[in-house]
Amino acid sequence: MKSLSVAGITKSFGGQAVLRGVDLVVEDGSFTAILGPSGSGKTTLLRIIAGFERPDTGVVRLGDEVVDDASDHWVRCEKRRIGFVPQEGALFPHLTVGRNVGFGLQRGGRHGRVGELLELVGLSGLERRYPHQLSGGQQQRVALARALAADPEIVLLDEPFSSLDASLRASVRADVHDVLRLAGTTAVLVTHDQDEALSMADHVAVLQAGLIGQIDTPTALYGRPRDAELARFLGEANLLNGIVRDGYVSTEFGELTMVTPEASGAQQAWAIGSPARVLIRPEQLQVEPVGGGPVAGVLRSYEYFGHDAVMRVQPDKADVLPELVIRVTGGDPMVPGSRVGLSVHGPVVAWPAPIAETAS
Amino acid sequence: MVVALVVSAAVLLPVVFLIMQAVGVGRGDLSHLLLRNLTAHLVWNTISLTVVVTALCATVGTLAAWVTERTAVPGRRFWAVLVVIPLGIPDFVVSFGWRAIFPAFGGFWAAVLVMTLAVYPLVYLPVAASLRHADPAQEEVARSLGLGRLATFWRVTVGQARLAILGGSVLVALVVLAEFGAFEILGFNTLTTEIYTEFTVGFDQSAACAFSLILVVLGGLILFGEGAARGHGRSSRLGSGAARESRPLRLGRSTLPVLVGMGLLVGLALGVPVGSIIYLLIRGGTSTLPAASLAGAAGHTFMYAASAGLLATGAALPVALLSVRSPGRIVRLLERTNMLVLAVPSLVIALSFAYFTEHDLQGNFYQTTLLLVIAYAVMFFPMAVVAVRAAVARSPVGLEEVGHSLGVSRLAVFWRVTLPLIGPGLAAAFCLVFLESATELTATLVLHPTDSATLATQFWAYQTNLSYSQAAPYAGVMLLLAAVPSYVLGRWFDRQPGRLSAAQVTGPTPSSISPSTMVSL
Repeated sequence: MKSLSVAGITKSFGGQAVLRGVDLVVEDGSFTAILGPSGSGKTTLLRIIAGFERPDTGVVRLGDEVVDDASDHWVRCEKRRIGFVPQEGALFPHLTVGRNVGFGLQRGGRHGRVGELLELVGLSGLERRYPHQLSGGQQQRVALARALAADPEIVLLDEPFSSLDASLRASVRADVHDVLRLAGTTAVLVTHDQDEALSMADHVAVLQAGLIGQIDTPTALYGRPRDAELARFLGEANLLNGIVRDGYVSTEFGELTMVTPEASGAQQAWAIGSPARVLIRPEQLQVEPVGGGPVAGVLRSYEYFGHDAVMRVQPDKADVLPELVIRVTGGDPMVPGSRVGLSVHGPVVAWPAPIAETAS
Repeated sequence: MVVALVVSAAVLLPVVFLIMQAVGVGRGDLSHLLLRNLTAHLVWNTISLTVVVTALCATVGTLAAWVTERTAVPGRRFWAVLVVIPLGIPDFVVSFGWRAIFPAFGGFWAAVLVMTLAVYPLVYLPVAASLRHADPAQEEVARSLGLGRLATFWRVTVGQARLAILGGSVLVALVVLAEFGAFEILGFNTLTTEIYTEFTVGFDQSAACAFSLILVVLGGLILFGEGAARGHGRSSRLGSGAARESRPLRLGRSTLPVLVGMGLLVGLALGVPVGSIIYLLIRGGTSTLPAASLAGAAGHTFMYAASAGLLATGAALPVALLSVRSPGRIVRLLERTNMLVLAVPSLVIALSFAYFTEHDLQGNFYQTTLLLVIAYAVMFFPMAVVAVRAAVARSPVGLEEVGHSLGVSRLAVFWRVTLPLIGPGLAAAFCLVFLESATELTATLVLHPTDSATLATQFWAYQTNLSYSQAAPYAGVMLLLAAVPSYVLGRWFDRQPGRLSAAQVTGPTPSSISPSTMVSL
C-alpha cells in the first residue's frame, strides 16, 4: 500500500486545457473519489496517474517515488504496480475468467491466487466462463479481481459502475467497497455520480473545470461545501439571502445557527451586518401544520419515491424567496395546491454574499 | 504513417499510369475513338447489364437474407451456409457450367442470369449481417403501431438494411462492370471483352486505354453515387444495452413457397455449375486428365495466391492500424482513395501493369511471378484492409492499457492480447485475397509467366478450344482450392460482432456498413 500525490498537474489536448494545475494527496490505505461532471478532466487525471498519458507539467508520486515529473523521468505503466478497473470492465474477450484474473501473475502461483480472488469477489466456480457469458455486474467484479490479483500498491477505478443498471449498481458498489476494504488497498475512484462518491469514499475531491474545487470527507463536503456552486453540484440546495449576526444568520426563516466552511475564507471577511448566502438542504426543511412555521406557501408538486418524497413549495414571499425543495419521509401524500407552513431545523451553512447578489 | 502512405501510393499507381497513357494518346484520337458506333453499343451493353443485374441481386440477396435471418424456415442454418457458397465459384466457371449443359446459352439474358446467380451473395452477406445487428425491438414497435407484416418488412426491415443493400449493390455493379470471362464465354460483348480483344488481337493500345478510361469513370461514378446516396442516416442502435436475439417469424402456410424459392436459388446458383463440372469429369473419365499439368497448374496457382495473400495482408496492417487508432482527415482521404481501386476492373489494372513494364522498364518484369503477385495484391488490397480493420477495431487500445497496468511488458501484451484478437481478421484477410487470386482469370491471362500456367489459364485455354471435358478438371481443382478459404471466411463471418458482449465492443464498432465493410464477407 502506498500513498499517492499529484502536484501542479496540467494537461491540454489540441490547445484545450483539460487539467489546469491539479493538486491531490491520497493517503495510504484510503479510498478517495474524484467527483466531477463530464468534461471536467477526471478521466484524464486518472490516466495520468495510471501512466497511460503524460502530463504537460507537474509531478506524480507513488509513495516516496516520483513516477512522472513531466520531463525525462517517467516510470512506464507496467512498472507502477497499479490496478486499473476501466469503464465497462474491458475484460479480454478471448480469455476465460480465470485467465483474465491471472493475466498479470507469474505462471507458478497463478492457480491458487485466482481462486482466492474469485472467492473474494464472490464468483467462485466461474473460472472457465468467458466474459460474454457473464452479467454486467459479474464482469465488473472480475475486472476488480484482475486488478487486485498482483497485489497492486493502488487501485484506480474509472467510472466502473456507470454501465450497470441502477438496481445492480448499488449492490455491485457495496460489494466492491467491501472487497477493497478487505484488501486494504489504496483506491482512487473517478465518477460523475454524487451518490457513488459520497457513499463509497473516505474522501471526495471535486474536480471542476480542470481544478480541484474542494477535497474533504463526504459529510463535510455535503454539509459544508465551499461555495454555492459546489453545494448545488453535490445535491439539491435551497439558496437564500440573509444577514450575518453574532453566531447566527437572520433570514426569512428567522434566526438560524450558522456554520462557516473552513475553506471559504469567510472568517476574515465576516462582519456583523454583512449580507450572506445561506444553504438549506431539502431535508433540513420541515412541514408544519397550516399557519405554523415562519414561512408559508403553496404546494406545487409532490413526488412520491416510497422511502421518501420530494415537495416543491412556492413561498408567498416569492420576491425574496426562491421555490423551495423539501424532502420528507414518505407518509400520506399531499395534494398540490394545498397551503403549507415551513421551518428549518439544524444549523445552516452561510457564505459571504457576492457583491452583485447583495444588490438584488 | 509513412508505411501507410507508401502502400497507398503503390496501390494507386496503376490508375495514375492509365490516365497518363490515355492523355498520351492525344485528345483528337481519343475523341475519335470514343465517338464510334461500336463504343456506344458497348457502353449500352455494359450499362444495361449492370443496372439489371444490380437490381436483381439487390432483390434476391435481400429476400434470401430476410429468410435466413428473420424467419423460422426449416433448416435455417443450412440454407445460410448454402446461399453463400456461390460467391466462391468464379463467375466464368458459372457461365461455363451453364454453357456446357445448354450449348445455345448466350446473349444478354443469359449474362443477366449467370451474373445474378454468381454475385447475389455480395448483397446477401452485408444485409444478413445488418439484420443480425439490427434491434428486433424496432420491428416489434412497428407491429405495435399497427403495421402489418408486409408493411413492417418494407418500412422497418428494409429500412434497417438500407445501407447494407446499397453497399452490396455497389459491389455488384462494380463486379459486373469488371467481369470479363463470363461474358466472353457467353458471347456477350461489353467494354471488358472488347478491351481484351484489342489487347490480344489488335494490340491497339490507345483503344484499350480509351475503353479502360470509360470503365474507370463508370466505376468512379458508382462509388461517388454510393457516397451521395448514403447520406447521414444511421442504421445502428441508439442507446445502450445488448440487443436481444430476435424471435424468428413463423412462416405458416408460406413455408412451402419459401422452401421452393430457396431450393430454386441454391439449385441454380450452386447445383448447375457444380453439377455440370462433376458431369463433365465423369463423362471425360481419367483418360483426358493430364495429371502432371493439372498438379503443376495447381501448384502455381497456390503459390501465386498465397504470396499475394501475404503481401496484401502485410500491407493492409499498417493502413488499418492507422485508420482505426488515429483517425483524421488525411487518413480518411487515404482510405477513400484506396477504395477507388475497387472501381478499377482487374483487366485495366493488368493492362496498366503490362504497359508500364513495356514502356518504362523495357519489358523487364513483364510476365514474371513478382509482377503477377504485386498485381493481385493491388487489386485485392481494399478487401484485405477491410478485413484487417474490422479486426483491429475489435481490439481496442483500452485492452492493451489494462494489460500494461497489470505489469505485463509491451511485447507480451501484443502477443497475448492484440494478436489473438486481430489474428482471425488477419487470417480472414489472407483467405479473402487467396480466394480471389486463386480464382482470378483476367489479370492472370495478361500477366502470368508464360512458362507456368495456372488453373485459370489452363482452364481458359481448353475452354476457348471448346474442350469442355479437359477444362472441367481445372475448374474442379479451382473450386476445391477455394473451398478451404471460403470455409474459414464463413466461420469468421459467423463470429462478427452482433454476437459479442458489451465488453468486447468497447471500441468503435463497424455499425455503418459501406462497400468497404461489405467486401469483408
